[in-house]
Amino acid sequence: MRWTTLYISACLVALNIGLGHAAENCRVCHRVEMAGAHRSLACLSCHVSESATVANPAAATGEAAPCNSCHRGFAAIFDHVMATRSRERAFADRSFTKVDPNFYRKNCNSCHLKGCLDCHQGGGHRIGTASADLCLNCHRGYFVGNDYFGRAPREDSLRYQRGKRFQGEYYLTMRPDIHAEKGLTCGDCHSMQSLAQGQKSAKECTDCHRISSRPVEHRIRAHLEKLECYACHSAWAPQEYGSFFLRFTDSPTREDFWLKWDETSGEYLRSAYLRKQDSPPLGLNARGRISPIRPQFIVYYTHIVRDRAEGRENQLLAAEWKAYFPHTIRRGTVMCDDCHDSPRRFLLESSQDRIYRLEEDGMTLGSFWDQRGQTVINGAFLPEARYRRLSARTNAFQKGYLEKWQTFVNRVDGSSSR
Amino acid sequence: MGLVIWGNAGCSPPAPHRTSCLACHKGIETVSPSHPECPGCHGGNDKQSGAKEAHRGMLGPRNPSDHRNWEKGCGPCHPYQLGRLRGSLMYTNTGMIRNIQLTWEGADGKLYATRGGDTFDATGKPLKLKPVEELDNLSGALYRKFCSRCHIGAEVGDSTGSSHAGGCAACHFPVNDDATYTGNDREMRNRKPYSATHRMEPLPPNQVCSRCHNRSGRIALSYQGLYDGNNGHVPTRSGQSGPVPLSGNRNAVHIAPDIHAAAGMECIDCHTSRDIMGDGYSYQNLYHQVEIACEDCHGGTAPPTYRVITGDGDEAVRESRGYKMQMRPGMAMVLTAKGRTYSNVFVKDGKVQVLGKRSGKIFTAKVVTGTPEHTVVGHQRLECHSCHSRTVVQCYGCHTTYDLRENGMDFITGEKSPGMFSETEDYRMLYPFPLAVNQRGRISAVTPGCQTFITVIDEEGNKLRNEDVAHFKGKRQLRFAPFFSHNTGKKAVGCRECHANPRFLGFGQHVIEGADIMGTLMCDKCPDKPLDGFLTMDDGRVRAFAAITREHSRPLNSGEVRRVFKVNLCITCHDKARDKDAIYAKKLEYRALDDTVHKRLLGRP
Repeated sequence: MRWTTLYISACLVALNIGLGHAAENCRVCHRVEMAGAHRSLACLSCHVSESATVANPAAATGEAAPCNSCHRGFAAIFDHVMATRSRERAFADRSFTKVDPNFYRKNCNSCHLKGCLDCHQGGGHRIGTASADLCLNCHRGYFVGNDYFGRAPREDSLRYQRGKRFQGEYYLTMRPDIHAEKGLTCGDCHSMQSLAQGQKSAKECTDCHRISSRPVEHRIRAHLEKLECYACHSAWAPQEYGSFFLRFTDSPTREDFWLKWDETSGEYLRSAYLRKQDSPPLGLNARGRISPIRPQFIVYYTHIVRDRAEGRENQLLAAEWKAYFPHTIRRGTVMCDDCHDSPRRFLLESSQDRIYRLEEDGMTLGSFWDQRGQTVINGAFLPEARYRRLSARTNAFQKGYLEKWQTFVNRVDGSSSR
Repeated sequence: MGLVIWGNAGCSPPAPHRTSCLACHKGIETVSPSHPECPGCHGGNDKQSGAKEAHRGMLGPRNPSDHRNWEKGCGPCHPYQLGRLRGSLMYTNTGMIRNIQLTWEGADGKLYATRGGDTFDATGKPLKLKPVEELDNLSGALYRKFCSRCHIGAEVGDSTGSSHAGGCAACHFPVNDDATYTGNDREMRNRKPYSATHRMEPLPPNQVCSRCHNRSGRIALSYQGLYDGNNGHVPTRSGQSGPVPLSGNRNAVHIAPDIHAAAGMECIDCHTSRDIMGDGYSYQNLYHQVEIACEDCHGGTAPPTYRVITGDGDEAVRESRGYKMQMRPGMAMVLTAKGRTYSNVFVKDGKVQVLGKRSGKIFTAKVVTGTPEHTVVGHQRLECHSCHSRTVVQCYGCHTTYDLRENGMDFITGEKSPGMFSETEDYRMLYPFPLAVNQRGRISAVTPGCQTFITVIDEEGNKLRNEDVAHFKGKRQLRFAPFFSHNTGKKAVGCRECHANPRFLGFGQHVIEGADIMGTLMCDKCPDKPLDGFLTMDDGRVRAFAAITREHSRPLNSGEVRRVFKVNLCITCHDKARDKDAIYAKKLEYRALDDTVHKRLLGRP
């Protein structure tokens, strides 16, 4: 970070020196008030030349060349996922293309990086640092972002579209991430540099936190070796089970679905079979560690033409899970049994524990909490044999378990007789 | 709702004879062999040939069993049934009205009923119920404009899957999903609202019950394995909202059914006619009217009890007349929790057997008295359904708006008046579910009942109340109610599952930090409290912030919470209650952990 600041300052000094020589005619017509970090820049520092003016110097289409001339290296951000949307494109290709070749263009194209000003607040003439609110313009709804600030998506049915609204969407009120509570914002971990380098984050938990050996769990070596910190410390996670895309052509009964929609909905309505936001299921991530996973997405598609289903109804297009990092960190965690006696969390629910009967409703999968027929695109489900090992009540386990519960129970005040 | 036809009157069925009614209503179904004549039920004049003349003086004219006609329609022959029904909660809805009052304005010392009238209280004293029309406040309005459609004093003909006739026909003349007559009388075919056919159903099938019991507790849905949560209208069915469409823009998906339903038992195979039609006394809550309990068939601390039928006049003999198998003198009839006989449950060869009233199937009830997993000390305080509910439907955050700028239908007066109710919701849950102490002092499943937030908007659009939480028991607080979800499973909630997961005690979804249990799904209005619970634990101190409705009910207190958690110190090793682990046959001794055996096993110094 420090070298960037130095470099930028050096550029600014150089530009200011240059200004004295440039005769700028821009301000004769354009009465623009400048503020923020760029307040003392000449117009042409960004807009390049009077004869070949660059209207939007920060546009991704020009790789934000004028910005990049000072902020060297940062234009690389346009080569990475936020701009290319390569992952979303690939997902749409392998799931939707066979039923609607234009699905991506119709439904996924509104969130991509169009330029530096997408994130940097204040506009070009009052430019500021990136703000969380601007991050959330794209990182909205189900995607990581709002969870950090304690917001989880609600059901799509109008019956559930109520309560607190943020950027036009209704959310459930959840306990925010402790970092948000303490005042940290997106950029504090996701630095510009890290994003430009195509990394998810500039920091890992242990860059700031020392793992104390006080909690019982931290003294269990397997926990430290095999788990991501956020496997335990993610307090909750939005989970969407069965993402339905209903495509309507000449079908007035669309209104009868009583689902939320807005002007951008186009020909599709979205709905989910079930949303939850409790402890996330667990699986293995790309580096083989136990991590939260969630459906992203278990997609069903129905095309309704003149109020009737055309082709196969409720067609399962993908059953993909993703290992990910919910931004819902708390100091606290669930207790031992929530992993060690919880086959459902590892998608190993037995058929006798099955509550939702998807097959009876023609949904192809036996259960959302059954690994069969589903994949983790950036990792794997926990193999059943491994689950059996971790749920075995070994002597070491019992000792840790007893210590954990004794510590806890001894602090529960049992005096009240109400 | 029943259809016109057949002639003559009287309680002893005369032989059918042709009347002028059949000239028009050709092919109409006979109500039953004992109801062969048209005017016997419908009145009118079957000697006249023209419709106008023949129909003159008819009762209803469509439904002689409607509460406005039943004195003359069904009453003359069935005074015993009518007398019971008048005091039954299914007709009076007294409990529903009273509970709305308790949670909104508070009780006013009077008892209301849908129609008002004279009946008897639980002790047999004469009781006057005031008509709900006189309840001129928000509670009254809510009942009349929202809740009152589900009682047998009202006909509902326009509600997908929720339509039903008024009066006796509500149960005995079933309607189909869109309340359309599809019988053989061409004159009436495709007319609505009418019963599906003109055939009487002495033994109502499950669909009849689910016409009303598909909201609030939704027991008829849960029993059959249907769930209307989240309301996503998917998966679609033939391009429409699906897979099972319900009234009020709702849909249901399939979940695991109740084990009794899966075996082929119907609602009326457990519920006696007194549960449903009343026993002649007027109760203030359904749990007082219902006379049955799981233990009647399955045994509790004591095995089921029975009484032998001594004569033909026994009620069980008379009631079972229409069953596939009639009860006979000499049979040992199992007793309900109120000590009366079932008409279809008996002891044979030392086994409790249940006759399917409609199906004729015989089901054998497993008696659990004395089995190790049912004699765990401390668990005698549990209701059966605390462990055996597969799911308990829980609706969190019920936001009710009463908007005086719009007119709403008052289903009691039949007229529109200013003020329309609408509802939104926060979140629905099936599992896990919270437990608390119920009116019997037992630990029971509970569900929000209700978490109502009320908004009232006046004619000018001003919010007179905004997301208000009503007072209950002198305090502004939300409420949970003891509840049997009717989604029973054979497999019980596991010992560790319940003892080690504070969600079962009412803490909601959470994380544990030190001695704090911190909810993660929070209330919009009080963001320091969980929306899906009623307890918080802060530095080891347990506090309840919501009430459990009903007398003597309450959330678990801190001593009980501590005891529940403490059991984990034993269960983690001794997890085989069903294999008769002796430690559960007496009070748990936690100091045993410090004895030499445990110390050696645990490798402790």
